Amino acid sequence: MPQLRGLHSGLSQKSYCGGLKSLMETINIILCGLGGQGILYMTKVLAQTALRNGWNIMGAETHGMAQRGGSVVSHLRIGEVESSLVRNGSAHFLLSLDLIEAYRNLPFLAPRSKIYVNAAPSLFPQTLVKKYLIKREIRFHSFDAYRIADELGAPMSSNLSLLGFSSAFEKGPFSHESLISTIEKISPDRFKKSNLDVFNAGFEWGRKENLQGAR
Amino acid sequence: MPLTDNAGAVSRADMEREEILLGNGAIALGLVESGCQVLASYPGTPSSEILPEFIRLAKSNGHAPYTEWSTNEKVALDTAFAASITGKRAACCMKQVGLNVAADSLMSAAYMGTIGGLVIIACDDPGPHSSQTEQDTRIMARLAKVPVLDPSNPQQAREMVELAFIVSEEFRIPVILRPAIRVCHGRQNIAFGPIKGKERKASFAKDPSRWAATPRFRLVLHGELNEKLDRIAMKFEDLEPYNSHNLTPGTGYRLGIVAGGVPCSVVHDILKEENRSDIPLLRLGAPYPFPRALAGDFMQACEKVLVIEETDTFIEYLLRDSNKVLGRLSKHVPSQGELTPQVVHEIINHLLGDLNIKQFKTFEDPKAVDLVRSLDLPVRKPTLCPGCPHRAAFFAIRKTNPKAIFTSDIGCYTLGLNLGAVDTCLDMGAAITMASGFFHSFAQDGVTQPIVATLGDSTFYHSGATGLLNAVYNQARFILVILDNLTTAMTGMQPTPALGIRADGSRGGAISLERIVKGCGVEYIEVVDPYDIQTTTNSLKKATDYVNDPDGGIAVLITRHPCVIAYKEEAITKETKVRVTDDCVECNFCLDRFECPALFYDKDVGHININRQICRNCGVCIQVCPKKAIVEA
Repeated sequence: MPQLRGLHSGLSQKSYCGGLKSLMETINIILCGLGGQGILYMTKVLAQTALRNGWNIMGAETHGMAQRGGSVVSHLRIGEVESSLVRNGSAHFLLSLDLIEAYRNLPFLAPRSKIYVNAAPSLFPQTLVKKYLIKREIRFHSFDAYRIADELGAPMSSNLSLLGFSSAFEKGPFSHESLISTIEKISPDRFKKSNLDVFNAGFEWGRKENLQGAR
Repeated sequence: MPLTDNAGAVSRADMEREEILLGNGAIALGLVESGCQVLASYPGTPSSEILPEFIRLAKSNGHAPYTEWSTNEKVALDTAFAASITGKRAACCMKQVGLNVAADSLMSAAYMGTIGGLVIIACDDPGPHSSQTEQDTRIMARLAKVPVLDPSNPQQAREMVELAFIVSEEFRIPVILRPAIRVCHGRQNIAFGPIKGKERKASFAKDPSRWAATPRFRLVLHGELNEKLDRIAMKFEDLEPYNSHNLTPGTGYRLGIVAGGVPCSVVHDILKEENRSDIPLLRLGAPYPFPRALAGDFMQACEKVLVIEETDTFIEYLLRDSNKVLGRLSKHVPSQGELTPQVVHEIINHLLGDLNIKQFKTFEDPKAVDLVRSLDLPVRKPTLCPGCPHRAAFFAIRKTNPKAIFTSDIGCYTLGLNLGAVDTCLDMGAAITMASGFFHSFAQDGVTQPIVATLGDSTFYHSGATGLLNAVYNQARFILVILDNLTTAMTGMQPTPALGIRADGSRGGAISLERIVKGCGVEYIEVVDPYDIQTTTNSLKKATDYVNDPDGGIAVLITRHPCVIAYKEEAITKETKVRVTDDCVECNFCLDRFECPALFYDKDVGHININRQICRNCGVCIQVCPKKAIVEA
């Protein structure tokens, strides 16, 4: 277990123990999508939440040429580590803002990990991927995060909508409340209400899906 | 005015001050804590955020250091060097290929030495993610004969800044810090410390035999430098935790690993996760001058030694035992590409198998990789942004000069290659110098070869003028299009000298492109807005006539339109929402020649359509469709 440095953890202790036994000391998260979708912001919300809960974080981001419309992957590791990149087969959570990028980054996932994708449930996962996920006991959830954000007049906020969605599941990386308080703290005043609305709308979708029973 | 996004970090006011900093922010914090009074830089991934973060953190500590965006890296190093010999702590930062530009200064400064600490921060890019080479700055340090520090994560980089200043002042030598991209663009929570460095007043003691040394004195300085290196090597023998190993005295090992920089943290975490205390690790965070005795102890205790380093064979050569040492030279480690955790894991695990040592417990499931491969996912190549003015300029260039050789340069606009309007990209400023070279090579054979060179405004200020002077002087003929988006876009929207805004937001002298171009002796200069494709096309035709006229010369066209990212309001003053009509015949002309990411083939409607999620409503594509099927909505 990562060493707590005060305050209570917003992270359910059971939540990430499904990974490989040797990786239990660290929580590895992959956030991916396309340049311009706000992946760095999503990473920031998670990292700040971890910090506010008293955990150490280490992350790796994409800048420069690769940002111009290309695939973007952000790595976030929570716990006592020296290096910033998540190794294939060792991510406990993967959040993807793009369907294709979700597929591309599948090798990062550890057995019994969780994947959340911005895509209509009819689109994700396709048959072969579904078989693979089930075989490795990887939990998967997808929803149209873009549509929800767009309906609220914030088409650029798919990131927060997906994050809200993922927070509705007991096995999400952080508690809903701890993420809300981070978003409140780091959003500029003029975006605060909109950010929280989108996040909460995503959460509601997730909550409903959760009630219907996870696939 | 365009600004980089540094407002990101949130401090924990209720506890001791702690922030989640980018590695470049951690380096900046190290500079503030060390009392660095002068910092000069030219932006380049992955180094660009160091200077803005330094300004932000210095301000929050009530400091007022001198900072500048220099016109290029050599200028930055010279500026910092001068400050150093007035007794102040000074630094310059740049990307690894920027140090090539500054190499002239570096080699000489090593001989001359320093007074106040001088730290040269050169950021490497194994991958490469955003660079033209994967060169290893440690080798540049060895070439210049200066010490080099190689941090393995943001926190260590921050600590090493202070160490670099201490070494620089103790031995009067410039010190290189070479963080690699995973340090620069890593993120880590960093607790702030006390400010240790004290501000100093400038003074300069004249000493021509040092500061203006002729070759006779240079020999003396070289001797001094060699003697300094011997003494620094002694210091680096005992430099825990950066140079250290975890051998148990009296124990022999089948295999040991030597690592430096980012791979050092990767190897450490893998061995920890795998619980392999039978494999010792020698960390070399300060690999040059080489701590020979420390390495010797390690070599003696291990039957075989595997070297994991980025990106070249630096430590591997210094270990000098080809029977015992395994690495790139023995083909155990790939000679190009980033050493990501999975690559390192595989290298070690493979070697363990070869040596009949127990292998790792975990291994990557090859099924996942095979599965992803079988999905045949589209490769996402970087593209110019929707609404980018460069796209419109490239479209017009390709249209008017289909047979031209298109020389281009380093910046966002290298991506003009997606529109078939970029043929070459060598280094900063080479759009112009290679255009000259092409011209003369063809002209020698009596062939008139059309050539259109493209480069951005910031790149022109960096190293365009020298090449343009040369081209005018030596009678070359080509069209030069300066793609002026009023910012340094690729690296994060730093201001250019045209704007008269300096790094800290204060006012600077504004120098217009037109004035420099004219000063270089160019007679034909025209400025157009590339969003107006018809006018741009007409101007390019006129420019072609001028280049071909016996009394003509080099024609310079400045396509000026604000970057859509840096100037969200000004770039698109009147939004033009577009739609695609049924007149679309799916000729794909817009996809191939205009290549806007907002245009795509829509299976549902059976023709090209607009992706509203990313369309910026610039309306330029209306001018592009040969069937007039893209119209205002």
